[in-house]
Amino acid sequence: MFTHRTRSPWRWTRLLGLLAVAGLLTVSPAQAAERPVSFTNDVVPIFTKVGCNLGSCHAKANGGRNGFELSLLGFEPREDYEHIILEARGRRVMFENPDKSLLLLKGSGQISHGGGTRIPLNSENYATIRDWIRQGARMDGPQLAHLVDLEVTPTHGTLARRATQQLQAIARYSDGTRRDVTKLALFESNDAAMAEVSSGGLVKILELPGRVAVMVRFQGRVAVFNAAVPLGAAVTTLPPARNFVDEAVFSNLKELGIPPAPVCDDATFLRRVTLDIAGRLPTLAETDAFLADTSSDKRDRWIDNLLQSPDYADFFANKWAAVLKNRRDTAGDLDSNFAFYAWIRDSLLANKPYDQFVRELLGATGTVEDNPPVAWYKRVKDPKTQIEDIAQLFLGVRMQCAQCHHHPFERWSQDDYYAFAAFFSQVGRKPSGKQNEDLIFHKRGLATATNIKTQAALTPAALGDPMAPITPGEDPRLKLADWMGSPKNPFFAKALVNRYWKHFFQRGLIEPEDDIRDSNPPSNPELLAALEKQFITSGFDLKALVRVITRSNAYQLSSVPNAENLGDHQNYSRYYPRRLQAEMLLDAIDHLAGTRTDFANLPPGTRAIALPDNSYNRSSTFLRVFGRPEAQSVCECERVQTSSLAQSLHLLNAGDLRAKLAHPTGRAAQLAKDTRPLDARVRELYRIAFAREPRPDELKTALAYLTEPLTTATGQKIPEPQALRENLQDLLWALMTTKEFLFNH
Amino acid sequence: MAIITPSRFRIALVWAFLVGSALPVAAQSVGLPTPRLLTITPMGGRIGTTFDVVISGEYLDQVEGLLFSDARIQAQPKRNPAGTPIENHFQITIAPDCPVGLYEARVMTRLGVSSSRIFPVGTLAEVSPTKPNHALETAFPLPLNSVCNAAVAARMIDYYTFTAKKGQRLIVDCATRGIDSKLKATVIIADAAGRDILVERRGGVLDFTVPNDGNYVIKVHEATYKGGNAYYYRLGLWEQAAKTPIVRQPSVSPVNSFSWPPAGLPAQAALTEVEPNNGGDSVQKITLPCDIAGRFFPAADVDVYEFSAKKGEIWWIEAASERLDLPTDPAILVQRVIPGQNGKPATYADVLELSDIPSPVKVSSNGYAYDGPPYNAGSSDVLGKLEIKEDGIYRLQISDLFGGTRSVPDHVYRLVIRRAAPDFAVVGWALHMELRNGDRNALSKPIALRGGATKALEVVAIRRDGFNGPITLKMEGLPPGVTAQGLTIPAGQSRGLMLISAKTDAPRGYANVRFTGQAEIDGKTVTHPCRVASMSWPIPDAWGEFPSPRLIADVPVSVSGIEQAPLTVTAQKPVFEARVGEKLAIPLTIRRTSEFSGAAIKMKTVGAGFERNPVFDLPLKADSTTVTLDLNALKVAPGEYHVAFLGGGVVKYSHQPDMVAQAEKTSKKMLAEVKSLEAVVKQVSADVQAAPPMKKDETKKRLETVTKKMKAATTELTAAQKELEQAKAAAKPRDIADIMVCEPFTIRVLPVEKK
Repeated sequence: MFTHRTRSPWRWTRLLGLLAVAGLLTVSPAQAAERPVSFTNDVVPIFTKVGCNLGSCHAKANGGRNGFELSLLGFEPREDYEHIILEARGRRVMFENPDKSLLLLKGSGQISHGGGTRIPLNSENYATIRDWIRQGARMDGPQLAHLVDLEVTPTHGTLARRATQQLQAIARYSDGTRRDVTKLALFESNDAAMAEVSSGGLVKILELPGRVAVMVRFQGRVAVFNAAVPLGAAVTTLPPARNFVDEAVFSNLKELGIPPAPVCDDATFLRRVTLDIAGRLPTLAETDAFLADTSSDKRDRWIDNLLQSPDYADFFANKWAAVLKNRRDTAGDLDSNFAFYAWIRDSLLANKPYDQFVRELLGATGTVEDNPPVAWYKRVKDPKTQIEDIAQLFLGVRMQCAQCHHHPFERWSQDDYYAFAAFFSQVGRKPSGKQNEDLIFHKRGLATATNIKTQAALTPAALGDPMAPITPGEDPRLKLADWMGSPKNPFFAKALVNRYWKHFFQRGLIEPEDDIRDSNPPSNPELLAALEKQFITSGFDLKALVRVITRSNAYQLSSVPNAENLGDHQNYSRYYPRRLQAEMLLDAIDHLAGTRTDFANLPPGTRAIALPDNSYNRSSTFLRVFGRPEAQSVCECERVQTSSLAQSLHLLNAGDLRAKLAHPTGRAAQLAKDTRPLDARVRELYRIAFAREPRPDELKTALAYLTEPLTTATGQKIPEPQALRENLQDLLWALMTTKEFLFNH
Repeated sequence: MAIITPSRFRIALVWAFLVGSALPVAAQSVGLPTPRLLTITPMGGRIGTTFDVVISGEYLDQVEGLLFSDARIQAQPKRNPAGTPIENHFQITIAPDCPVGLYEARVMTRLGVSSSRIFPVGTLAEVSPTKPNHALETAFPLPLNSVCNAAVAARMIDYYTFTAKKGQRLIVDCATRGIDSKLKATVIIADAAGRDILVERRGGVLDFTVPNDGNYVIKVHEATYKGGNAYYYRLGLWEQAAKTPIVRQPSVSPVNSFSWPPAGLPAQAALTEVEPNNGGDSVQKITLPCDIAGRFFPAADVDVYEFSAKKGEIWWIEAASERLDLPTDPAILVQRVIPGQNGKPATYADVLELSDIPSPVKVSSNGYAYDGPPYNAGSSDVLGKLEIKEDGIYRLQISDLFGGTRSVPDHVYRLVIRRAAPDFAVVGWALHMELRNGDRNALSKPIALRGGATKALEVVAIRRDGFNGPITLKMEGLPPGVTAQGLTIPAGQSRGLMLISAKTDAPRGYANVRFTGQAEIDGKTVTHPCRVASMSWPIPDAWGEFPSPRLIADVPVSVSGIEQAPLTVTAQKPVFEARVGEKLAIPLTIRRTSEFSGAAIKMKTVGAGFERNPVFDLPLKADSTTVTLDLNALKVAPGEYHVAFLGGGVVKYSHQPDMVAQAEKTSKKMLAEVKSLEAVVKQVSADVQAAPPMKKDETKKRLETVTKKMKAATTELTAAQKELEQAKAAAKPRDIADIMVCEPFTIRVLPVEKK
């Protein structure tokens, strides 16, 4: 992929010589009558279509495969032409006998080819390449009509489940011609569980309802077919719409015919929203007060209460610290990591507007001690990584590919990449008094970055948006921050609201949440646009965004599926349960077990959710097993939320959990000593674990278990108080390992 | 390849003295023992009160008194009911006329005067938590308008509560680094339930308008939850009238503030910045010379001043902001305005860019090794020359390179544009050896002289407005038996030394001295005080924590009068004469009171004109040696020079060996007493057995009395034996690397005799 070459004049002289000797620079009258085959517009797309120029095949970096190199996805036809004509001692094309060309012999599998048969003999593709060779294997001249647009028809449609739809890809060229390139285009579904698409563009809708997109690619151009797949069930009742979120979600459900679940009960709401906003379980007192409260606005008030609490800041700081790579590599990172974490946390606590938060990070100068976001520049030193992280994290744009070649799924070119990098070209560094910590300042000068391919010095431009010239005295990073915070910015607010939507609904309106592109459309575009608008209008108020999301009935739907919506996993017809994150789960277990986990050098009682960096993962098997990220990646996907055998085993018999259950001052010990009737104690335990009262059958089972006499291995009766304590430990363990406890639902 | 870990690095300490002359020596520590006053509890006091304090520190043996840099603060030893002074306890009285501010506190010890600890004096009521307050439930009630003296413990948060009324404006100001503490404080105002409302982590002040009547909580902890006695603080809580400026608790001065302000600068600037002046059409017109007070506010603020100037004019531009103890980095750009022709807009041609004031000497890098002074006399402020090459309109823009995103109204600057006013400022600090390890322990050292010792202060100068002449260094008002010789900062250079020597028989003494730099400028003698900088704490591992240097208020010099320097090197006469081009023999007398590692010390010559003399070996076994200086090779011109030799040696240092004999004597005495009492007890026990019934009780009582006596004597014996063990351990010779300096002498170089 990383092929950086300049064209050698010598190679072209040699090429012209070769062609002249073969008498191929002249064209016969018969050939002239025939439509000339274009290398760029006809041959290269074949390579792309059949996969010759994938990064894993002949476009592999540093020499391709087996001595034959092609540019990735055919982005550099001229280079491809040179490789074919000039290399392998000219055997790749045989002008006199095109069928004996190595290109065709290998591609059609007539002789051994590691990639197998890609261009079958007698196929249309085979004929095209053969004709091209026969016509003189010419490179296209400058007058060649170039591709200006790609269209797909139809562009959208409503398709029933199990229906099919043939797509047609039309290429439009600079000379005004249009051509059906369906056979040469590449098709890809954005949700393989919803729709499959064949190589020839036939879309097959599967069982799941919702919205699915098929991306069509041809020579660096992308078009998208959007399909709505209704379930078609009758939507007779909808919860009342409390705000625009509900309007957009419910209208989509109505359109798709997916009946939503009812609004959840108070206990479920309390537990869910407390976990989602504050990263913790409600306390017993909070649960009792909330359940006893009969006022109609108690849910809204509880949301406000959570947003005012430092727990909100702790929980979201934990989220941001990981993707901002607050990683401890050496003991010397301690001060800066704590400072950076604290800056994130305090910014959230003070509800600093999000655009200001990002501005302070992007434009950080000085020392970590005086200005903690400088720590980001300590952690992310390479200017390329800086722009890639910034683009992915704050704009939802993945620029990485465009460093070396045109982005295959996107409009980003290398010029876009380096013009974006130019914003960071004037970041000056001076050694500070501290080891491995630089002072960051704006280095006066004209900001430029060099496109490694064209060697052109590019001035800053933000993802295709032209910028007013930046004078040498202005810090370009602040101009970038201005651009990001502009209400017209098409990426900045969208990326954040989508990220936060995913936080509360488990699935982003665009998935993955940080891969926003034309070819990856949102599942509910109206909702995304409305959230974006609200966020901008509110002045990038993060708490207001959380408030608007969590106040909606859409967020407060029950997680229990009805007969129709079990298959829905993208339209939010019910709350999608998810396993508690590692830190939340550890805190929740401590909460239930009446214990605490001690972390090195932090005050006793510090919760796992408030840990400032990844270093605590080393000493905590629990956090590692349950997937706490190491802050290596800008992607939230670094956090492992999947289940594993290790997690099950840990919950079954890990020493640390056993110690918590049997802790001498823990919950079991306390409840064993408690003099209240046993049923009161069991009910309290349920309220602590699930924020609800036990059902009669649960209470009955629990009481029966707690009063079971216990005997030792030798058959001796264990005294009652001890037996009760042990039975309580078992009950705690049983509650702790239920899905109801392990999941937010 | 072997990996050298920091700890191995420390053990295999290899050090070199000054540049070159690396001498591989294995040693455990750096710097001979020096008395250091580390904490005073409580840390400060209220004007017009008397109160008790407890001190702690290193090598605080035989403490004689607690001394302050102002006579209006006095300390008396605290005595027990029997009238005996209690070790390290004092009673302090602050006179009613003592101004609010920071004072230096020191103790006079066996080894001389200790390093200083800041002692703040204020007007608020002083309080201290009476019991641990590490939880909300045990929060200490803090009265309004008080200052609380406390120290955070490791992994702990200190809790306070206060009661306030809605609308009240309260200031919470936690003094830490500014009063020598190691604490990097996090200070939080929370609601009564402990839920955070306002947080300050960067040493700022919390300006809190109370939202509702009720109780509130203040939490204090270290940024990374470190703690201990060194992590102390003074937490001030006071009411402040609305819209009045906040006067914070005073703070020590950073080292680089020695070069600000220039002599004669008025306290208030003549002009004030007027916004909008951000460039383009918004400029502030000024005429030169000028003196402006401005602010880097709001974020990314640029202030543009426009003035006209004529070809040939020379202006000096100086700006101060970082030297006002602000985390800023001012930068200046001067541009000539080129008027636009035919209705086109004006353009601007860069004329001058000014950024940092570089340190006059290479500052130690931030690596593990120490490779230069750790004191930066330079600054991120601005000082430079503007030469006008053509008549015209000029624009000067000033901005803060660290201010792109920070909107802090307190980030101010002072900008002075003046005609050349040549001058200088000098600052000194205890010379330290270059080390290839992380030990910064010895950086915190007072001028406490052992008999026969010479101590060196490294002095550097910031030169202003083209002043290039030599600067002589002087120290006056020294204690008896002490002399000081400055090694001049030569013309065009920035570094000199001040060597302070105590005679071997110098009596125990202490004096606050006058330390100055002096130069001839435009035919006038100009004298400026030489400020002295020191580290607040001895730091054994530079990677573990960063030493914090500051300026100290005065310059105390003391002589131990008890302990002698391990090595005294003296030229056999104070003045030597030679003619240009001759070879000059300097006979040296070598006096040792300790053993050393190795047979010789590599010595370097210091003093202008002689610095290039090759490094030579000073024998450690001989009592004298002769050093030959080749005036021809050194190309020394006629004149009078002050010269000394210095090098690094490893002393086998024994701490208070006399204490061993003393402790032994006590221990033996107690042993004899215990044995004698044992015999008595044995005798009385036998008496009890033999006593007739009527005398039984009486004898038994006697037995009880002597047994009790014996037990008490045994306890005392145990203590004496323990003390003996400690004395023996302290006296056990251990390797300590330090700088050995020869007493300076004078060389008079005469012109070649005309034949």
